[in-house]
Amino acid sequence: MGESAAGKVPPLTIDGHWAFDYTYYAGDAASRFFAELANRRIMGTRCPQCLRVLVPARGFCDACFVETTDWVQVSPHGTLETFTILTTSFPGLPEPPLVVGYVMLAGASSAVLNFVDGIDLTDPDAAGTAMLGRPPVTARFKDVCEGRITDFVFTLDEPA
Amino acid sequence: MRPVYLHGSAVSTTWRDASRSLTDLIFECVRTALGTAGISAADVGATVLAAHDLVDGRGLTSMVTAPAAATYLKDETRLGDDGALAFVLGDARVRSGSVDTCLVAAWGRASEGPIDEIAHALFDPFTARPLALTEIAVSGMRAARCLGDFPGYGRWRGAAAARRGVRPADPSRVPATAWPLRAGELPVWADVVAAVVLGSQPGPVRVGGVGMSTEPYELGDRDLTGLTALRTASAQALTDAGVDAASIDVLELDGLTLFDEALAAEAVGAAARGDGMSLLANSPRVNAGGGSAAGYCAPAMGLVRVARAAERLRNATTSQVGLATGASVVAAQVQAAVVLEGA
Repeated sequence: MGESAAGKVPPLTIDGHWAFDYTYYAGDAASRFFAELANRRIMGTRCPQCLRVLVPARGFCDACFVETTDWVQVSPHGTLETFTILTTSFPGLPEPPLVVGYVMLAGASSAVLNFVDGIDLTDPDAAGTAMLGRPPVTARFKDVCEGRITDFVFTLDEPA
Repeated sequence: MRPVYLHGSAVSTTWRDASRSLTDLIFECVRTALGTAGISAADVGATVLAAHDLVDGRGLTSMVTAPAAATYLKDETRLGDDGALAFVLGDARVRSGSVDTCLVAAWGRASEGPIDEIAHALFDPFTARPLALTEIAVSGMRAARCLGDFPGYGRWRGAAAARRGVRPADPSRVPATAWPLRAGELPVWADVVAAVVLGSQPGPVRVGGVGMSTEPYELGDRDLTGLTALRTASAQALTDAGVDAASIDVLELDGLTLFDEALAAEAVGAAARGDGMSLLANSPRVNAGGGSAAGYCAPAMGLVRVARAAERLRNATTSQVGLATGASVVAAQVQAAVVLEGA
């Protein structure tokens, strides 16, 4: 006589962990974009068909499906299009709460992501509500730039 | 092209059931779907599966999990994308006449992996990961823009959240929030499997039309509140079906958070720009079962929405039309829309 297939034993669980090392290749366009950040310049590339200036710079326009041509330096001044206040902690990254947002820099056709520093987050609702109206911001570079997206942060402009 | 009918469906939503492996969950849900269609695995001509390696924690996950989805010696297509897109491909297999019956299945088991870390790993390592971006963070940015631009979002968010039902007390089932999102607006993580059986023979629900569309990967290029891909996909599905958004009786809209669901309602044309949250707060047509608060794990959710829409159409006392949508990672870059017509 066979045994029941549904015999009751304590459910087995095991731990799993993935830890693979990758080397990501930025490519020519992104490599130049990051090298220019080390020079404290934010660069975009212009699509020859739609004429958009894409920031961060990239090698092709996906909408027109053509290679980008001209390199264009965009302004460090722009508008905070949207943002959020992060509460998730990740190893190796700054501790939350953090403000991160998309900024449309003057001269650019696409928004660029970065931290927004200098916000008093004692009252997140008050801080967030105050920034809902697309306030002006400026990119501020660190004292030592390494050619990474974290070379700069945005700060709110002082009211005129 | 042949007409396509939805013959059966099933959705399984559990949490940390240690007595069942992922393949057990898939097997049980697929078998239930086949049962509702009144067929056996031997009757299936092809399968289309949607699963994510990162979510499943298994490299090339479908190699491990596909046998639980009735793929033994079957014509099988594997997608690393949302289940609604798998549905669209399954529809194409039957519509084209290459098979008579197609099983579509999708799953994700949130309780097995670190969902926040997975959502972070999806993003670009040069421009987004160093800035702690996650899927919830993008939803937070969408929500902030809505609150800034549309007064109705602030006015109706409380009422819309209240319609989502009682949330579980287990804090591990809710992601860390991203302002301005509130706890009641977030998804509830779950172990989710969905399965649908499509066929060429007349059945209780007909597939009226389908559409798919892809937005740029770069979030800074997108209209974050416009959901352009969903507008395109739903317009295609509605045109295929020959119906307009106003005539849709049943809406099952996939979105990670309440704000994403409200924006989806606008994108498919069910609500005017800025009125999506009001629709969620006041209309029983939309996500009657609670949407992402009823259990969420990518990439199953688009197929869950299709299955829920089909259930509602089957249970309706009159002939109705439904629209279901599915959004993929990253941040709803790819969208699918499906129009279903009840008998």
